Amino acid sequence: MNTTTVKAGEGSVARGVPMPDVRQDKQGDLAPQERLDIAMRNFVRDFGAVAATYLESCIHCGNCAEACQYYVQTGDPRYTPIWKIEPFKQAYKREMSPFAPIIRALGLKRRVTVEELEEWQELIFDSCTMCGRCTMICPMAIDIASLVGLARHGMHKAGLVPHELFAAAERGEREGSPLGATPKVFKERVDWISDEEEVEVHMDLPQADVLVTISSIEIQKYPQSIAALAKVLNHMGLSWTFRSQGYEATNFGLLSGNADWQRHMSMKLIDAAIACKASLVLLPECGHAYTAMRWQGATMYGKPLPFKVRHISEFLAEHIADGSIRVRKGLNKSVTFHDPCQVVRRGGAIEGPRIVLEALGAEIREMRENRGMNWCCGGGGGVISIHRADALRYKAFQIKMRQVEDTGAEMLVTSCSNCRLSFDDSQAHFHWDKTAHSLLEAVAENLDTPPARAAAGPDGARAP
Amino acid sequence: MSEPSPAVDEPTVLESFQQNGFSRRTFLKFCAATASLLALPAAEAAVLAENLATKPRPTVIYLSFQECTGCLESLTRSFSPTLEHLIFNVVSLAYNDTLQAAAGESAEAAREDAMRKAWGKYVLVVDGAIPRPLDGAYCVVGGKSALASLQHVAEGAAAVIAVGTCAAFGGLPLANPNPTGAVAVQDLVRDKPVINLSGCPPIPEIITGSVVYLLSFGVPELDEHRRPKVFFGNTIHDRCYRRPFYDKGLFATSFDDEGARNGWCLYELGCKGPTTYNSCATMKWNGGTSFPIESGHGCLGCSEPGFWDRGDFYHPLSTGRWGSGMGEKLAVAAVAGAVLGGAAAVAGRQRQKARNDASTQHPDHPEAK
Amino acid sequence: MDLLTFARGPALQWALVIFVVGTIWRLIGILLLPRKPDFNEPRSTHPWRGALGLIVRRTVPKREFAGPTAFGNTIGYVFHFGLAIVVFGFVPHILFIRSLTGLHWPGLPSGVIYVVGALTLAALVAALVRRLSHPVLRLLSNADDYLSWLVTAAPVLTGLMAAAHWGGPYPRLLAIHVLSVCVLLAWLPFGKLMHVFLVFVARGTTGALFARKGAST
Repeated sequence: MNTTTVKAGEGSVARGVPMPDVRQDKQGDLAPQERLDIAMRNFVRDFGAVAATYLESCIHCGNCAEACQYYVQTGDPRYTPIWKIEPFKQAYKREMSPFAPIIRALGLKRRVTVEELEEWQELIFDSCTMCGRCTMICPMAIDIASLVGLARHGMHKAGLVPHELFAAAERGEREGSPLGATPKVFKERVDWISDEEEVEVHMDLPQADVLVTISSIEIQKYPQSIAALAKVLNHMGLSWTFRSQGYEATNFGLLSGNADWQRHMSMKLIDAAIACKASLVLLPECGHAYTAMRWQGATMYGKPLPFKVRHISEFLAEHIADGSIRVRKGLNKSVTFHDPCQVVRRGGAIEGPRIVLEALGAEIREMRENRGMNWCCGGGGGVISIHRADALRYKAFQIKMRQVEDTGAEMLVTSCSNCRLSFDDSQAHFHWDKTAHSLLEAVAENLDTPPARAAAGPDGARAP
Repeated sequence: MSEPSPAVDEPTVLESFQQNGFSRRTFLKFCAATASLLALPAAEAAVLAENLATKPRPTVIYLSFQECTGCLESLTRSFSPTLEHLIFNVVSLAYNDTLQAAAGESAEAAREDAMRKAWGKYVLVVDGAIPRPLDGAYCVVGGKSALASLQHVAEGAAAVIAVGTCAAFGGLPLANPNPTGAVAVQDLVRDKPVINLSGCPPIPEIITGSVVYLLSFGVPELDEHRRPKVFFGNTIHDRCYRRPFYDKGLFATSFDDEGARNGWCLYELGCKGPTTYNSCATMKWNGGTSFPIESGHGCLGCSEPGFWDRGDFYHPLSTGRWGSGMGEKLAVAAVAGAVLGGAAAVAGRQRQKARNDASTQHPDHPEAK
Repeated sequence: MDLLTFARGPALQWALVIFVVGTIWRLIGILLLPRKPDFNEPRSTHPWRGALGLIVRRTVPKREFAGPTAFGNTIGYVFHFGLAIVVFGFVPHILFIRSLTGLHWPGLPSGVIYVVGALTLAALVAALVRRLSHPVLRLLSNADDYLSWLVTAAPVLTGLMAAAHWGGPYPRLLAIHVLSVCVLLAWLPFGKLMHVFLVFVARGTTGALFARKGAST
């Protein structure tokens, strides 16, 4: 894949708004018209009544701007969430809306140009984490993040994706991991960490009740998570395993907008779970992995999944509550929890982390905006991988810093390794004294030994 | 225009009063009553008396065409000024086929004589609409069509007063389907001032008052329908004694309900007071006795153009005139909408499908590399 | 046929026909697009409860957003409630609805309506000024926004003018008022004013889908 980078003309103006001087990335060497056609074709490809309802319902009230960290921190109206899909809104009106024939006949909506799509690359990728906070403010409750997801489909197929994101997705498709955590690397890391932490990690068991998955961020940057997972599951006495043919929970197909790759990546996990006859797929501390498998996995599979899917925070809460995980009240400090957007706001696994922290003896100090209203860390949706977006991401992160500082909590916990990555990077950038800790690791450190006997929770954790 | 001038041998209005045995005091009372009717300020009232004292009585020719004589019936019930004062003291009524003693050839001859004497100065009063087709053959008096009579008499008139809604706007003769092709006076008389005193019938004091005003001051200020603003400046609704109930939202909903007995607003029963400009609510009828709304019936809007053809005397003004078959029309519209919407969705699906096929076949797909 | 008779008759009839055709066309055209089955294990099996819940709840803005959206939302509330009070509270309007649907209810004193109407118009003007001056709104706005504003404000303005007899004889003002309503009805299905219906579809869709996931709404 050859890629090109084009710098937008300095001070160029689109629709009366000065365009910042940003790099625009292209993949492939398609003719502009071809690129445009492909973008539009793939935008409408997965289009249905739901997306149409949303695109028809916008009343241009502009409220969504106030929910978006990028607008709030920059005041740049282009970061208004609904504006980020403007060319695709135009395309929808021309192509599929109920009055499309009239609109085309009368030329009421002009054709989108490939130049516009190039300009919109920054809006669709760099400045949207698909955190979905805008849906909370929208008087029509439009799920703008889902529309950005569809727009990314078009942009990806047209080869208009930011380099790093494209490269990560392409590498994930080719190697099985966007960050080079190939099966070989993964096995090495698992061997090393199990030695280091003196914990038994099951790998490639032919049969297990629980298929445990991991994100390559954890493999490469937070390997403690692997040990923590193993400790908790061993403590519960569960039958569980990693599978070297299906361990990678991240899905850069989803983030970069390639629906086919998204399916390939999800199918690896699904096939692995079926292969070891798992009744539960446990997702790691990763936000978009939850969206990809919990809420889109069966869509990729085309029928209901033969197993349950749970995020680790839900799993921990459920089994701390039912007593199959016993923990000490070892976290004797004030803690604030950063809600990962994809797990909490958009995923619905909301109260689990609170139950866990409570059990660990923490004094929970909620941020002013918490749970579904939480501000995004600014690194989701693949944004953290896009280097040209760093400055913008740091700006957005300042909201997060203020939020955390305002709680006065001694400790910051989250349950998304991508959020942690974003926190770590921004922490370094701002020389901030707060570190985002893992909820899972906090549990693993406070397990009440000796381990309970092979008791299990009421649902998928029990052997079928 | 300059006010109509009298025939040379006519006495002034005051002289006429005195010749008929009335005192100057009676004349002044007449002037005061008329001034109050016309809502003249004090200074203008004095001018009115002055003018009537010094000006000779004008000649008036009153022609009746497609009419029911209701307007004249109304005029005979004018209380102040009375018709008697008007025709015996204020004007010289040279022709009116109902009131005059003369008949036949002699009546027509008297009219011709009066016209000749006061050519260019007399006032023409017209009552009734005028049919235009077939040279006016649908209304012929004494062998002469209404159309020809009007054109003939109007030629020498100083001003024309159209009395009643038929003369002013065509009224009932003009109503759908207008079989005689009737038109209003103002449609035929283009080169003279036309004053419309509409109403079916008009309030009698509006007729007498307007004649006196014309005599004293000339053509009064007119509204867009050429009606004197002094009488047609407000809607019935704005002057209605039931207006407070409208403002409070209290309405009679049938002619014998609690609201009707309590004298609440008749809007819901179709009262056209809001769109009707006339003085019924203030001047009332029969010497200030009452007016239709006071006797419990909504205003029909008889002083407005086309009042009959609106045909919704008992429908509230704010309702749509849906006509018959609106339900069917809307049902058809709903079906048409559903068909168009369905077709749009199918077309959208097909475009999507076509694009999907194309996208999977595209050879230059970036993925293909 | 005079203007008022035209407005109350053929104009209203046609406007209503266009309104019905357009509304159903657009709604069906959206709703009949493909809908993918969702095989993912639901967290809640009461999507309808979620749909109805969000339709109701989203009417009240969230506390967290109160600050920056206070002005715009206040304007929005004033003219939405104002329009509702004027349309559904003024007796002549109730009689109009009754002539169409047979439904009716007690009205409000006209003095209240005039005050509310004036406030509504003021809020609409403020909304327009805000749209023209706020950078986000200026960027988002297109011809539909301004046209829809115009056809919404026109009946309020013409209604107040008719009530005040301001600008001509009442029958003409009333006719213009009714014609402005005709324009509003005829345009409603084709522009953003369609949100009077789509608000239920959109909120209901998100409410149902998010309830299925247990996601925040």
